[in-house]
Amino acid sequence: MTEDFITKIEGHGRLKVDWKKNQVTLEVAEGERLFEGIVVGRPATEAAWITARICGVCPTAHNLCALKAVEDALGIIPDPTTILLRQLLLSAQMIQSHTLHLYFLAFPDYLGIDSGLELKKKHPKYFRAALTLKEVSDEIAKVVGGRATHPTTTTVGGFHKTPSANQLKELKRGIQEALREAESTAHLAASLTYPEFKTNLLFLSQVGKKAHFNIYETVKTQGSDGTTWLIKDYKKMITEEIRRYSTAKFGFYQKKPVMVGALARLAIQGGNLNPKAKRFLGRAKIDFQNPFHNNLAQAVELVHFTEEALELIDRITEAPKPANPKGLTGLKRPKTGIGALEAPRGGLYHEYTINERGSITKANIITPTVQNLGSLEKTAQALIDQTKNLGKERRAKLLEMLVRAYDPCITCSVH
Amino acid sequence: MAKLRVAIFDFTDCEGCQVELVGLREKLTEIADQVDLVRWRLTQERTEPGPYDIAIVEGTPITKEEQKMLQWVREQSKFLIALGSCATLGGIPGIMDKEKRAYWYKKIYGSKYKPRGLDAPPLSALVKVDFLIHGCPVNGDEVVRVVEELLAGKTPKYRGYSVCFECKQAGNPCRLIEGKPRLASTKQRESRRACLGPITQGGCGAICVSGGSACWGCFGLRQEANIDGLLEVLSKIADSDEIEKYLSMFLKRTEAYQKFKDKAKRK
Repeated sequence: MTEDFITKIEGHGRLKVDWKKNQVTLEVAEGERLFEGIVVGRPATEAAWITARICGVCPTAHNLCALKAVEDALGIIPDPTTILLRQLLLSAQMIQSHTLHLYFLAFPDYLGIDSGLELKKKHPKYFRAALTLKEVSDEIAKVVGGRATHPTTTTVGGFHKTPSANQLKELKRGIQEALREAESTAHLAASLTYPEFKTNLLFLSQVGKKAHFNIYETVKTQGSDGTTWLIKDYKKMITEEIRRYSTAKFGFYQKKPVMVGALARLAIQGGNLNPKAKRFLGRAKIDFQNPFHNNLAQAVELVHFTEEALELIDRITEAPKPANPKGLTGLKRPKTGIGALEAPRGGLYHEYTINERGSITKANIITPTVQNLGSLEKTAQALIDQTKNLGKERRAKLLEMLVRAYDPCITCSVH
Repeated sequence: MAKLRVAIFDFTDCEGCQVELVGLREKLTEIADQVDLVRWRLTQERTEPGPYDIAIVEGTPITKEEQKMLQWVREQSKFLIALGSCATLGGIPGIMDKEKRAYWYKKIYGSKYKPRGLDAPPLSALVKVDFLIHGCPVNGDEVVRVVEELLAGKTPKYRGYSVCFECKQAGNPCRLIEGKPRLASTKQRESRRACLGPITQGGCGAICVSGGSACWGCFGLRQEANIDGLLEVLSKIADSDEIEKYLSMFLKRTEAYQKFKDKAKRK
């Protein structure tokens, strides 16, 4: 028995191509876990613990997004050091996710190998870069979050436990090494030959208050069409559709397919990148109409978030120790809260309604990949339309590479 | 001697256990060099048909397609390992009761949607499983231990102790006995807090309690767990609703949850 799922992507999906009609559909076959039902009736404090399990590649993003939503509902404002620590965790999450995606899922197509494990013998230099980036980002997640996958120290209002000055010092040394490897990854990504392909892409990215490449303290979502949306209007901005061939909903921006993630972030707030990343962005010649360049954008972001982690470590070292999170008290009446942040694959939104007893009565989650599915399907169709002169095998290969370039997280999209 | 043919499969889940495997880094490549890794969808295109010497299966088979696939994997494999709490216990997706799925499908997807999922069972509800590597996520070192024992021709064994043993080694105050100081400056303590460490199999290093969270039992029930004893202790710390939340996080489809339900009914 063989499964015809696309390999080297997170989760189970297939591109079905009708070669006679030149028509493509994106089938998502992951089972429905029904997270928005699972959390109902459970304490609001469990939302972050449970929803981290939506995705093993970006669990910290879900964990923090759920905490933000619950804190929004309960009117809790975490202290500045807590926010710095969360930003560090989210930066580490970006490095963890982009490293895994680039070296183990996407780059093999460009390096003439099948599995990232082959790097060890065939490209030892790249292998060392991949391992260093993975090790250092996992270490940040462990020291600050308690574990590489699925945090244990994070909680509503703050942290159960925070790193010591010595631990931060150790981390800093690792991140300095990781920065060199992030730069070598950006060089590698810039040296690869991406398929030549152009299509109209519409982008969305959450942005912060200030001119800073913000992913945690976002206040609105900005489109490449010039429109901005308040976070609270996220459901007006993104509408979800049901497809008969997919267990994931397809999200659309004002009825139009939209791309979120690294390429979208660079298109919308690339001017705010950290200095080294900005230099790479200037040199990399990213084509914002070529979705294959999302890989290149991720590599530029690797540099940015490693620089960011270094800066955050310094700021945390100088900051006062965060206050202990306070115990939760009940609400006078039910309240709804929204949490939003930029996850590795794009804008993530969690919304919970919490009753007087502190239990969740309603939940809604929109993940980045839900938003990307419509764009991915449309772009795959454009690729089919533009490659009629190529052989079937080559076209199928290009389609697979395109899917990987979007870095879909199918498990997130179904949740 | 020919290398053992190893295949890694994943059903519905978060794939965090596979991420933990990648997180083993050099150790993963060392193990991969000792076997013939003939199938692993997440990281390679190479997909060889069975039979397999060892199949490592992550996730819970929620859809009919997945449940059929699991039967096939079982037929093709000499030794089948369930990887992670979704595969060993039904995991977080197992919180959702089979009977409640229809209600939530309608609520989340609307009435026009045709559901694919049937239920979120542990693998052992459908096929014989030769070894369970519990955890949400698994502990990478535990996976290495089990695979290395298999490669040495031994049958791996379960940890004969509970999370409490490792929790004491880690120097954590006991949630069930001591509680946690409310303020470092005073000796005033918060009330004791629930924890499933005593009935949960060790091997995790008490990582959650060390981070400040509770133990929710993701490493599965230890052999000869004193469930009644823990339920007795918990009843003095938490109300029935709270205990239900603890036991339903990962252990909803185990004897522990059943015992709690039976006791609650008798009251």
